[in-house]
Amino acid sequence: MHSKVTKIILGTIGVVLLIAAPLVITDRYVQHIMVLSGVYVLLAVSWNLLTGFAGQLNLGHAAFFGIGAYASALISMHFHLSPWLGLLCGGLVASIFGGLLGIPSFRLSGPFLAITTIGFSEITRMVAMNWVGLTRGSLGLYGIPPLTPIKLGQGTSIEFTTEFSAYYVILALIFIIVYVVSTLHRSEFGLTVESLREDEMGAESIGINTSHYKLAVFMISAFIAGTAGAFYAHYERLISPNMLSTGVTFSIITMVMVGGIGTIWGPIIGAVVLTFLSEGLRFVEEAINLDIRMIIYGVVLALVILFMRQGLVGVLSGLGRFISRNPERQT
Amino acid sequence: MSRKNALRNVIAFIVCAGFLFCGSHLMAAGDPIKIGFSGPFTGSLAFNGGEMKKGAQLAVDQINSKGGLFGRKVEVVWGDDEAKPEVGVAVVKKMITRDDVLVVGGGYNSSVMIAVSDVCSQEKTPLVVAVAITPTLTERGLDYVYRTSPNSPQFLMGACQWLEKERKPKTVAFLMENTDYGRDGEKIYSALAKKIGAKELAHLYFEIGDTDFTTQLSKLKNLNPEITFCIGSTTEQALIQKQSKELGYVSQWLGAGGHFTEAFFNMLGTTSAYCMGVSLEPTLAMKDPVVADFVKQYEAKYNGARPGIFSGQAYDNVMVILDAIKRAGNPTGKLAADRDSINKALKSTSIKLTQGTIKFDKTGQVVTVFPYVVQTQIVNGKPELNIIYPPEKATGTYQKPLPWNQRKF
Amino acid sequence: MESLFLQQIANGLIVGSIYCLIAIGLTMIFGVMNLSNFAHGDFSMLGAYFAIYTTAYLSGWFGWISSMFIAAIGVGIIGYFVERTMFRPLMKRPTDIDVIMLSIALFIILENGAQLIFGATPQMVVDPFQSASINLFLFQTSYIRIFSFVLAILIIIALQVFLTKTKVGVGIRAASQNSKASMLMGINVSFIYSLTFIIGSALAGLGGVLYGTIFAVYPTMGAMPTLKAFVITIMGGMGSIRGAIVGGIILGVAETLGGSYLSMQYKNSIGFIILILVLLTIPQGLFGRGKRHA
Repeated sequence: MHSKVTKIILGTIGVVLLIAAPLVITDRYVQHIMVLSGVYVLLAVSWNLLTGFAGQLNLGHAAFFGIGAYASALISMHFHLSPWLGLLCGGLVASIFGGLLGIPSFRLSGPFLAITTIGFSEITRMVAMNWVGLTRGSLGLYGIPPLTPIKLGQGTSIEFTTEFSAYYVILALIFIIVYVVSTLHRSEFGLTVESLREDEMGAESIGINTSHYKLAVFMISAFIAGTAGAFYAHYERLISPNMLSTGVTFSIITMVMVGGIGTIWGPIIGAVVLTFLSEGLRFVEEAINLDIRMIIYGVVLALVILFMRQGLVGVLSGLGRFISRNPERQT
Repeated sequence: MSRKNALRNVIAFIVCAGFLFCGSHLMAAGDPIKIGFSGPFTGSLAFNGGEMKKGAQLAVDQINSKGGLFGRKVEVVWGDDEAKPEVGVAVVKKMITRDDVLVVGGGYNSSVMIAVSDVCSQEKTPLVVAVAITPTLTERGLDYVYRTSPNSPQFLMGACQWLEKERKPKTVAFLMENTDYGRDGEKIYSALAKKIGAKELAHLYFEIGDTDFTTQLSKLKNLNPEITFCIGSTTEQALIQKQSKELGYVSQWLGAGGHFTEAFFNMLGTTSAYCMGVSLEPTLAMKDPVVADFVKQYEAKYNGARPGIFSGQAYDNVMVILDAIKRAGNPTGKLAADRDSINKALKSTSIKLTQGTIKFDKTGQVVTVFPYVVQTQIVNGKPELNIIYPPEKATGTYQKPLPWNQRKF
Repeated sequence: MESLFLQQIANGLIVGSIYCLIAIGLTMIFGVMNLSNFAHGDFSMLGAYFAIYTTAYLSGWFGWISSMFIAAIGVGIIGYFVERTMFRPLMKRPTDIDVIMLSIALFIILENGAQLIFGATPQMVVDPFQSASINLFLFQTSYIRIFSFVLAILIIIALQVFLTKTKVGVGIRAASQNSKASMLMGINVSFIYSLTFIIGSALAGLGGVLYGTIFAVYPTMGAMPTLKAFVITIMGGMGSIRGAIVGGIILGVAETLGGSYLSMQYKNSIGFIILILVLLTIPQGLFGRGKRHA
């Protein structure tokens, strides 16, 4: 009872704070980082769905991100489709490729699947580099239309070219997607998916068609990443084959691992914390004039895997349990 | 549990953001004058980025040792763009909105700089590009965007003239880095080949990070073109030369600039003989007092290291920026006004630097810098770059590549 | 007599043999410890830097040969510490995701650490043959490539002899087939694990010296050999040395022929395409032990 009320109150405060954040933080660079961390939240959530929940090790997640971005950008540039619909198109195209990549997963797992997925993302990157007529190669696509303004009656309309307004778009996307993913997670579908990770043979033996479930998870995960890519394309208005590189995938993975793999909140926390951390490290680098950002990234990842398997979520919930076990501490 | 964590998440987020937010500052007279400088300081292009950083640092040190500008110190805010457009955008947004830089300089990759140029023109902050080569960058006609280095047609103009007027090849082939850098150059050289009626035998590519080129070189050897165009960076170019020697492939190599670095000659030694390209290598025009002075100071500062083309370009870049700030008057601290007056000052830039006299056209493109056509020639057992075109600048005469087994060094 | 086709086959075989040397260490470690090390190529990078520093002090042939020993020993020692402190604690974890992630972390640390320590300037290990080339009538190549090819074959033979004729080698093979059973048989599995990782790392280091002599040395040089080594081992069947040899040759030749006759732009994708085709038809790889779910 008590805890439920607290939960609702805390949840409301959280939502209000998230909505109010860009009103308080007016520094546009910080707002930009907030939007970027939002994009990474979507990527981390989608990768966690596939790898954390379903146990399908995907090291080519950046491919879905890039495919969504290129699809939406190209469609809106060549067919003048509204970028808002582009968000959906980016997701759909990525999800088709997700389905394709899902097929090998019927028979492969662990390092075999990992290398296949790296191969997939490298091949997509090569296509983006080499199909110059369509993608402008390594120069990238520029001049992508921004999200079109929404007209509110006469004269007034909401523009979507600033970090401020983009923040609310990505926030809305995150709310929707996290809600859908956590609902899925609690559903029977979610349980079955997790059984793929725990004991695939067992799941098969009780008559579960594991292939269908794997395909579904691959497609949903790719859809989310593709939508994130499409949003990113219309926000930055420039995309390049670099988006498809394994480096991007490794960043996503680090975020999920640091936040806590296989949890709902882990990827969200991890994405936000690490995006801010890596920007914060720039200030440290400036001070000491050494490029140590990536090393710290690697060390943090290693330490988390070795000593903090549950990530930040594990630490926080441990802390939470510790506090609630000692009620006198609070009063 | 999860909602509680959500709250914690939010608190952490706010605290994090707060840390970044506070410490915002207004620039007052007496504070240092800040300029931004971005480049790929980590990753596979870190070497080239490092060369840029050294050149830029030298320029700032020179000004500061003479008392800075208006009695104020000049400070550089370095931004590592990792050669990635999205990182470049974040870095430059940070420079403009947080570090309050007056001008953004530097910039290596064309893809990064196109993204950054959008940001800078939106933010009405002058962007002075140091290295990136694609013509698109200035051709879009964005205000606040300048480039102190030649674009690709300007870069290869000398080489094209040399081919047309002197070398007149019948057959050519291409081995290009598969990036906008390589492909831009390929377009220009290919157009020239069509103009002079040379047969294009093959268009081959390689990726950044490739190490084995024997496939491409064997194919080229079979076709035996007079000229092999090859545009790429130091590592790949050095490997290509080494492997041509191993396969016994002889052709006149003609590239763009950028790969004639100290590391290139250290790795190859005499194997680098006969390689050609176009270059603004500061060491070439040592007779020029400005260049000689730059090279001397650079070697003194960096333990005798020879400045490469990127060091020179970055040096010029920062000098142009500082010159414009000087002419625009002591910055008042009102960022928008200061940036605007620097933007105006930049338009009338005319300053003699290592690449020559720098003047911009109305798109912000430098129109007075043309690289020389150079060839590696072996003098006393050591590779040396000689200018062979245009004739009035030449420091040596063109040497036709000999077969590997007839080379006497 | 020289023909493009034969020349390309020769190019592919030689490059493939160097890939093999790096891939064998990877496949051994996987076979015995079930550990996929995505930082394997970075051990080669470390080996190459060992050689750079050794040849700076010891010149000529002596320097080059001793640099190989120093690289193998040095990287072997680093490998030992990495295995003990980083990978060993993870061996009991239920999924192999952790191990793979940790190796990715190691890859990030080594690559960026190397840039910090050694600098980003590309270098070359001094070639004792001074890139002299040799015309073998059917094709032309350099002495160093021929030498590396022969050396790679000798090392592979030596490894086979070690694995089949010595007691420790037999222990390694037993552990790779069934670690629990071999523990019951009185084999010190912990020792075998360390030894395997040391040998695998040392081979990577040695491969790095050859790689750095034929190609170049720079902090990010490890990424490409890692991916190639994985493609090779998975194609050949993970854990199978024979598979790694055949896989290396297939990859080397397929890349050169594909690059030459199909599309030069997609040369680097050819390995992945073959890999995916192999996995879709024979999931355990060419010489795998029918273990598709690792």
